Amino acid sequence: MVIKKSGIFLVILLLFAWQKPVFAGLSGWHGFAEGAFGGVISKGDPTKHSDYNMAEERLQLKNQYNFEGEDILSRFQGVFRFKGDFTLDEYFGGKTDFELREANLSFTPTQLIDVKVGRQVLTWGTGDYLFINDVFPKDYVSFYVGRDDEYLKKPSDALKISLYPELFNFDFIVIPHFTPNSMPEGDRLSFFDSFQGGIAGTDSDRDLIEPGQQAKNFEYAGRFYRNFGSTEAAIYLFRGFDNISRSYKNEAARQLYYERQDVYGSSLRGELLGGIGNIEGAYLHSPEDPKGNNRLIENSSVRLMAGYEKDLGNDLKVAFQYYYEQMLDYAAYKRSLLSQDVVYDECKHITTQRLTKLFKNQTVRVSLFNFYSPSNNDGYLRFSVEYDLTDHWKFTSGLNIPWGAEDYTDFGQMRKNKNIYARLRYSF
Amino acid sequence: MKKNISIFLFLFLMGIGSVYAQMSADDIAGRASHMGYYQDKDGRSQAKMVITDSQGRRRERQMTILRFNISDNGDQKYYVYFDKPSDVKGMAYIVWKHLSKDDDRWLYLPALDLVRRVASSDKRSSFAGTNFLYEDVSGRSVNLDNHELLSSEGDSYMIKNTPKDADQVEFSYYQVQVDKSNFIPLKAEYYDKEGKLYRIVEAAEIKEIQGYPTIVKMIAQDLNSGSSTTAEFTDISYGIGINDSIFTERYLRNPPMQWIKG
Repeated sequence: MVIKKSGIFLVILLLFAWQKPVFAGLSGWHGFAEGAFGGVISKGDPTKHSDYNMAEERLQLKNQYNFEGEDILSRFQGVFRFKGDFTLDEYFGGKTDFELREANLSFTPTQLIDVKVGRQVLTWGTGDYLFINDVFPKDYVSFYVGRDDEYLKKPSDALKISLYPELFNFDFIVIPHFTPNSMPEGDRLSFFDSFQGGIAGTDSDRDLIEPGQQAKNFEYAGRFYRNFGSTEAAIYLFRGFDNISRSYKNEAARQLYYERQDVYGSSLRGELLGGIGNIEGAYLHSPEDPKGNNRLIENSSVRLMAGYEKDLGNDLKVAFQYYYEQMLDYAAYKRSLLSQDVVYDECKHITTQRLTKLFKNQTVRVSLFNFYSPSNNDGYLRFSVEYDLTDHWKFTSGLNIPWGAEDYTDFGQMRKNKNIYARLRYSF
Repeated sequence: MKKNISIFLFLFLMGIGSVYAQMSADDIAGRASHMGYYQDKDGRSQAKMVITDSQGRRRERQMTILRFNISDNGDQKYYVYFDKPSDVKGMAYIVWKHLSKDDDRWLYLPALDLVRRVASSDKRSSFAGTNFLYEDVSGRSVNLDNHELLSSEGDSYMIKNTPKDADQVEFSYYQVQVDKSNFIPLKAEYYDKEGKLYRIVEAAEIKEIQGYPTIVKMIAQDLNSGSSTTAEFTDISYGIGINDSIFTERYLRNPPMQWIKG
């Protein structure tokens, strides 16, 4: 079945290659068509399909309309951007879907203000695959199965107002509609299910409760930033919800929910010892459990990281990061636990190493990214090779190797999802 | 006494005159750098680069380049907006070029809404996978080389440039042919550490635009790999009033379309 549908898709892909005039008619439309497959190389994968975790075809279309004329949006340099993905997911029996990734209007009503409203991807902060002040939704399912990096970020429905006074710049974001992270839930990727007390697959039956659609549940994010020379400094504020359902609404009913979270952070990034250095930190306040004595609700925490990247010449770059997370009110947390609860450590340390090398006039990109946590004794190795066959065709292949001794750590719980994947993309 | 002064003045003026008659290699290199990278206080152009490898396979890059001089023959800022190939369309790149230290570079990836800081100590790496290097696009600081006038016969000067710090670059020296009439650098030939010619960058077509002699077609050849890149510049304009403020995160996220579309 998988092969038959993939065959149809392959024909479509080939049509893309030879029927360029068809696309010439669609003025301004760009995007790509892609087929992707990821085979599972771990034993005992308890998900829907134990031998693969990605088998899909995707057509992305995007366009942009610049308002030009006498109307108000033209005077405000209005731009409308659209991007959407049609997918055919063989993993779920050939389910078709459409994902609207961008549909937003941006404009500049005065020289000092930019406005962007609608569905948009939001990113800030200085980490590389590590996020502290980037509180915007992510898709870790895509990350672990080997989709393009683009899919690590999920779009938000938001209003973003940017102000540019003399002293500093300021972004203010209102998110009226909460979007959770896409996390492993057992159907495609196995994970640690606290209700099962171990790594769960299709047997997981948790119920994740999202905040209701009400004005009091709007999320707000702010960033003040400016440069000192070429050093970038920023202060971040956030009031909203944790994007991961870490807290318990009703244990008996296996209900988890996204607890409230306030984040106060800052970052610095600039030239350092012939490379780029960055530091970032934040205090994450848990307003529903401010004293940390409720075992069902995530505690407040402090998170810090530092990174360094250097260009060694000959298209070779190396980068290192160190990340530290400390649960606050740990004594209260320990006192509140019941005997059957998993006891998480007070501190977590993660290091990352990245190596990127380009070959053949930069048409081949080899990338190695490694997470290693000495405190959790787990890690995650990501390896990929991208090859630009032509300006239109790109072949990507890679490995995702999460590992760990314990079932409940970040990467250890993912250890049955090790995969090897390949993607073939035609861009137009 | 009066006579002495006038003799002195005469000798002094003669001295200045001879400087003009016989420019030093440093002066010529400085003028050539100015003509290649600094004309007027700002400028824009559309660049189409076609890369042809040794087997004849072609790749194409298309971009808009905006330039702003912070000071004449000094630091500059560049904004590059990619149009082709389609998988990089909408990507934007900012370079703060510094003569006395590493450049600052930022890359904007629209799909992730990510402003990435790019480590860039190697200015001798390929620009966007072409045979042009970063230094070909934004210029190599004249202070990095010692200049020697090899000949000034005919219509052009021949300048030999030897790096002051040989460990920083892949060449041992390069020779630049400079047009005497307008100081446009016509051809640069790079010699490797063994003294073998391995790389040629030449101006294939020059036009006068708004009174400025301008290279509108440039070819870079890598003799070792057999690949070459032809860059054609169109929609060129000078002194369009580009503001220093566009070389910031704000305009990476919201490209300044009024300059990009021309």
